[in-house]
Amino acid sequence: MTGFATRARGFLAKYWGVIGVLLLWQGWVWAKDLNAIVMPQPLDVVRDLVTNPGIYLSNAALTLTLAALGLVMGMALGTAIAVLAWTSRLLSGILIPLGLIFSSVPVVALIPILARLLGYDVKTVLAIVVIISFFPAFVFTSAGLRALPPGSEDLFRVFGSSPWQRFIRLVLPSAVPSWMIALRLSAPPAVLSAMVAEFLMGTSGLGYMFRQSAADFQTDRAFGTSVVATAISVLCFTLATLAEKRVNARWS
Amino acid sequence: MRLSRPQIQDLALGVLGILLFLLGWELIGFYKLAGLTWPRFSTVMEYLFDPSRRGLFGRAMGASFSMILGGYLLGFLIGLGAAMLSYTLKPMQPGIDRLASTINAIPPIALAPLFIVLLSREVTGMAIATINVFFVIYVAATSGLEKSRQNHRDLFKVLGASKSTRMLRLDLPAALPSIVSGMKYATPAAFIGAILGEWFGASRGLGLLMVSAMQNFQIPLLWSAVFIASAASLIAFGLMSLLERFVHGRFS
Repeated sequence: MTGFATRARGFLAKYWGVIGVLLLWQGWVWAKDLNAIVMPQPLDVVRDLVTNPGIYLSNAALTLTLAALGLVMGMALGTAIAVLAWTSRLLSGILIPLGLIFSSVPVVALIPILARLLGYDVKTVLAIVVIISFFPAFVFTSAGLRALPPGSEDLFRVFGSSPWQRFIRLVLPSAVPSWMIALRLSAPPAVLSAMVAEFLMGTSGLGYMFRQSAADFQTDRAFGTSVVATAISVLCFTLATLAEKRVNARWS
Repeated sequence: MRLSRPQIQDLALGVLGILLFLLGWELIGFYKLAGLTWPRFSTVMEYLFDPSRRGLFGRAMGASFSMILGGYLLGFLIGLGAAMLSYTLKPMQPGIDRLASTINAIPPIALAPLFIVLLSREVTGMAIATINVFFVIYVAATSGLEKSRQNHRDLFKVLGASKSTRMLRLDLPAALPSIVSGMKYATPAAFIGAILGEWFGASRGLGLLMVSAMQNFQIPLLWSAVFIASAASLIAFGLMSLLERFVHGRFS
């Protein structure tokens, strides 16, 4: 029983802000007696979520698949190009500043351009996520490939290792922590950009579902979509953070 | 400031990279390698700097930049205020942390309809920019405020400084480098927020230009609007990097 009490107190200490906002919302709708079309109550949103889980799940699964696939492909591409750039002073000198420029530009603004270039299609959503996850992966892996522990390079040289061995055993492993940072930073934007692309192009998935329900004045469903989207984005961020912690614990 | 030889090389390669990028853009457009929706760089520039469109772009930039600036300032103040609050009232910190990260996890396309209902269509971009900036500044400032040293805090206490004196003369200066780094990363976040917000039905601004140009196949207009937003964000980011370098040199 005391265990439960301390746990409840810990929960309250963490979540009083979130709970407070939800209560304010519910109270505000009651007090002003708002129409459900203008502003649904939290209770209505929960009801729609519980009674129609299928439509939420299928759309969420689609968006999540696109985001995860795009994230993995973008990270792989970014890492490959970073390794390629690492092999040549000329390539890295040319590519790294470009990578830095693109990663400090609002890349989301490129979505309309890509939508027009590639057509309104599910593949375009995937391509957008790939491009958006590419830049952090490239920039952080490039930085990681250069951040070798001091003296380690000399050690490898003294023991007469080949450049290839040096790359596989020293350079790649020392890039792993920066690679994990890139993963954590790219995970939420991957979900977000997939949804924005779906919203703008009206193909399918959560972004499309949101647009459709807002257009049909099903505000409770629109807010339900928001809740699901938030849950997915929190989930991705948490998973990426956990992976980063675990890898760092093992690596250092 | 004298540059060393490798620095000059880096600079030259960086400039070369940008020139190659622009040349590639021009050639892909010239030979229509990516189809009709990829205009030449020179076409976009001609379109952009045509005197007859000065009014169109001027109005859009005025609308968007005022939203971005407003959102940036507001988000900065709220973020810094929240960080100072959670630093002075420690028991509240976990709750504020959790609320901030939950708000940040809600995808902007889910927040937009809320702001349209609560505020108005016109300021939705500003509100999303505010939220984006708020989170970056809050995270940077909370970690920065912890950086004042314990022995300095003890000294302030022994000499009988009030809490507000200590905040103003010790904690805030110690936090300044982190806060300025946060301010740098908040600039693209503000641009993304404002543009996303404008995609949800603002009646003017660069975001509106992008979406209507995308839907109406006005390719040079679409690329021009994205170019303006990216260039402006990059310039702001560059200025913030200079400020960051100055502050880091002076305060840490």
